[in-house]
Amino acid sequence: MVYAPRYPIETDRLRLRPFTRGDVDAVFAYRQRADVARYLSDGPMTRESVAEALQMRVGQEALRVEGDKIFLAVETKERSGVIGELSLILRDEAGRQGEIGYILDPGYHGQGYATEAGAKLLEMGFDGAGLHRIYARCAAANHASWRVMERLGMRREAHFREHAFVKGAWDEEFVYAVLEDEWRTAERR
Amino acid sequence: MPMPELPIETDRLLLRNFQKSDLDAVMSYHALPDVQRYLDWKARDKVEVQAALDTMIQEHRMHRPGDAISLAVVRKSDNALIGQVSLRWTDATAGQAELRFIVGPTYRRQGYAREAARAMLDLGFDKLSMHRIFARCAARNEASAKMLRDLGMRLEAHYREHAMFQGEWDEELHFALLDREWLRGSKVKELRRHMVA
Repeated sequence: MVYAPRYPIETDRLRLRPFTRGDVDAVFAYRQRADVARYLSDGPMTRESVAEALQMRVGQEALRVEGDKIFLAVETKERSGVIGELSLILRDEAGRQGEIGYILDPGYHGQGYATEAGAKLLEMGFDGAGLHRIYARCAAANHASWRVMERLGMRREAHFREHAFVKGAWDEEFVYAVLEDEWRTAERR
Repeated sequence: MPMPELPIETDRLLLRNFQKSDLDAVMSYHALPDVQRYLDWKARDKVEVQAALDTMIQEHRMHRPGDAISLAVVRKSDNALIGQVSLRWTDATAGQAELRFIVGPTYRRQGYAREAARAMLDLGFDKLSMHRIFARCAARNEASAKMLRDLGMRLEAHYREHAMFQGEWDEELHFALLDREWLRGSKVKELRRHMVA
């Protein structure tokens, strides 16, 4: 499989593009926040760890073999500056399974940006990469996140209780998923 | 991790270590296509089943995550090896283990899997102090799903078309049970004759 889209990818209000080394400060601005880290597996990030993470992400912009990841920076069209990050991961090549993820700067929450970006990720996964099923995971307590998944037409397929111990506490996790034909049916409406 | 005391005895069954002489009995159910789904290895012919048996013979204690306790399920009335049960330690920090079970086709629908699984839940929670034990089954395997529900396990996941299996889309259920949710068998099998006398 080769899925190597042309960037930037645009939606109504957003521009999605690969990360560059110049994005460190913008990403650090929200990744250092405790409220952003709260539902992620790691704690708030230092500037060095953000720089390291972005270094790893540069060049991760196509899916060729199982495990490949696309990481994209999210900008609004009206002004440049990173307001969040997206991922699309090829989890299982034979089963054409993919996983999506999104993190947005809290200053930009509540405006439908995550849903708009997420819809584009599904389109990339199904239309672009030819996936059969796409799933997303989040902490059960992260209501804003799973409501986005529901708005995207994803179904809750799993509710794991105390299945892991994360940052000193029992973890509770939701898995949402959507199949290609379900997505196409919803798109036609 | 404490060693389980083997064999484990239930009303009708004995759960014991596997041994070399179990090859033909294991072969009789391992190589079936619907059983293959639940194995981590290919076991289609005698050579592959022999390798699987050699692995299972070693699986009788837990030292580190990834280790399993695999036991032969033997019917007491006629000493027939009718299947197997296992508990695999998947996560040490969170005390997680996976329960698996197989009963040969000619011995199904008599509650043997449930009886063996119940004993393994007792072992996992009481002796091995697990926090959560989970089990998986194919969605169309209604007998297994019913059995897991009857044991008090909750349906935590229903994955649709999440993988390809033997050329068709797989649908999978996950059931789980927390330590505090487990109603102990409370059958005092440990009471030995010489202690009572």
